[in-house]
Amino acid sequence: MSLSLLIARWRGLALSLLGVLATVLLALSGQLGFYIHPRYTVFTIVMAAIAAVLIVGAFAVGTDEEDDDDHEEHEDHEGHEGHASQAARRRRPGALFGAAGSVLVVVVAAVALFAVPPTPLTSSALQQRDLNGSAGQHGSLAPAAALGDDTSGYTVKDWAALIRQGTAPDDLAGRSATLTGFVTPDTDDPENVFFVARFVVTCCAVDAQPVGVAVYLPHWADTLSVDDWVTAEGTFEPNPSVLSLSSVALDAVTVTPIDEPSEPYVY
Amino acid sequence: MLVLVATRLLLPAGASDGLGDAVHDVITLSVSVIIESLPFVILGIVISVLVQIWLPEGFLLRRLPRSPVLRRLCVSVLGILLPVCECGNVPLTRGLIAGGLTVADSMTFLFAAPIVNPITIVTTYQAFGWNDGILATRILGGLAIANLVGWIYSRHPAPDTLLTSGFQAVCRRGPGHSHGSRVHRSLGMFSRESSSMMPALFVGAAVAGIIQVAVSRDVLIALGSNPLWSVLALMALAFVVAICSNVDAFFILSFGSTFLPGGIVAFLLFGPMIDVKMLALLRTTFTARTLVQLTALIAVCAAAIGLAVNLVA
Repeated sequence: MSLSLLIARWRGLALSLLGVLATVLLALSGQLGFYIHPRYTVFTIVMAAIAAVLIVGAFAVGTDEEDDDDHEEHEDHEGHEGHASQAARRRRPGALFGAAGSVLVVVVAAVALFAVPPTPLTSSALQQRDLNGSAGQHGSLAPAAALGDDTSGYTVKDWAALIRQGTAPDDLAGRSATLTGFVTPDTDDPENVFFVARFVVTCCAVDAQPVGVAVYLPHWADTLSVDDWVTAEGTFEPNPSVLSLSSVALDAVTVTPIDEPSEPYVY
Repeated sequence: MLVLVATRLLLPAGASDGLGDAVHDVITLSVSVIIESLPFVILGIVISVLVQIWLPEGFLLRRLPRSPVLRRLCVSVLGILLPVCECGNVPLTRGLIAGGLTVADSMTFLFAAPIVNPITIVTTYQAFGWNDGILATRILGGLAIANLVGWIYSRHPAPDTLLTSGFQAVCRRGPGHSHGSRVHRSLGMFSRESSSMMPALFVGAAVAGIIQVAVSRDVLIALGSNPLWSVLALMALAFVVAICSNVDAFFILSFGSTFLPGGIVAFLLFGPMIDVKMLALLRTTFTARTLVQLTALIAVCAAAIGLAVNLVA
């Protein structure tokens, strides 16, 4: 059997296997959440298990079918021996090209899935996605964020939604909050204001939308760098910054650097 | 593979930092598309194998009406029975064509199924309720476009030429070509179909990841409140984001009220039928020329329906 035929036969199973192994490894290490919403975890693992059975089975019986399977491509092989039609000979460069492409896809996939450590989106993805562009309602099922008495469980997403909905700065003023997220500068006043930001994911990392809450801390860049994960504790006040577009900011803050959480996104 | 994992674990922490955030994000996004879509593609292949090998021959085709228009109507609502979103529908459509359904009728199934599938309907209802007729327009518009595409291509004099030569060979071989037990044939078909679909999925995921990082969404989103531009911008967004039809309603809802309903309808109609990942998957089956025609045709239809909604609303 020619090499290109061999590759054409096995590339699908090889790629499926890579995908299944990556899924299982990520699930075991608890990092599946970097890529997909938790509601898909069970479905993804069940399908990976089914696929694993099919892949092993297909590898086991694969060689039986060889003879009648790809007789079209078999002509290619005979062309190599010098017996086949011109048509078959013309197909050969295409087959070689296809085989090289397949090998490339398999190698790149293996490197991307296994050699590169799994990471969630970095804050540079913010440049493509409007911060708080989507912080409004998330599904009519979810009640619109309302300012309750107990705000201790509020995340960055909840506060960002309240602020974006136009909750009066006076209603927010004086309320204390503890926010966890990564640091990203306020582009309008990068010196004095930064956002504690998180990505909101509805399905997978592709649809991640950033949300953030402004923190007023002059010269924050002296102690913090962009992308650092922090917990910021403080009280909301009308934003002292004149340049920033945020009407409210967390003021009088203590900012504590933390390790990146195992669930970096909010849902 | 073990070597690769070992390399990663043995290299000092931070060794991959040199890659840069953009490269990291491309990889994260591409892997995310693969991890998310892989189960659906596998489910689609499994259902396709079941339909072709385990159902009695002609089980589906025999029950369809003779009249072409009625038959396509039936095929277009078949998707209600199958909770598979667009990536899973590609292998299933290949199975239908290989099993003897005409190319045109199969296209009707392909484009209608992701929109009328039960999960899509439920999530669209949860996201929008009956507001602005978005749900009704999505379902009826999707069925209309799919049937129109089917009708147009049913007039094609040589439908086989719409298919890639590789897939024509698969069709000529037919499901019953090989001897051996059903289990054997099923595993063989799983292997062949994954050889067609998986490279397309992986390449499509890489392209989707690169586009996500390279194209700024701000422009598209900024245009979302203009009656004309909202429709076109949100269709472009649908093409770029390549999000699964099961959850696209939640995605677009999360942008809040900035978008006009016509734009949202166009997003919800165009996205499930055509996007960058779908084109990669469809290229396994249809010629590039066919895909260009299909994209143009569906884009015009989705835009027309979106603009009409904006006029009425």
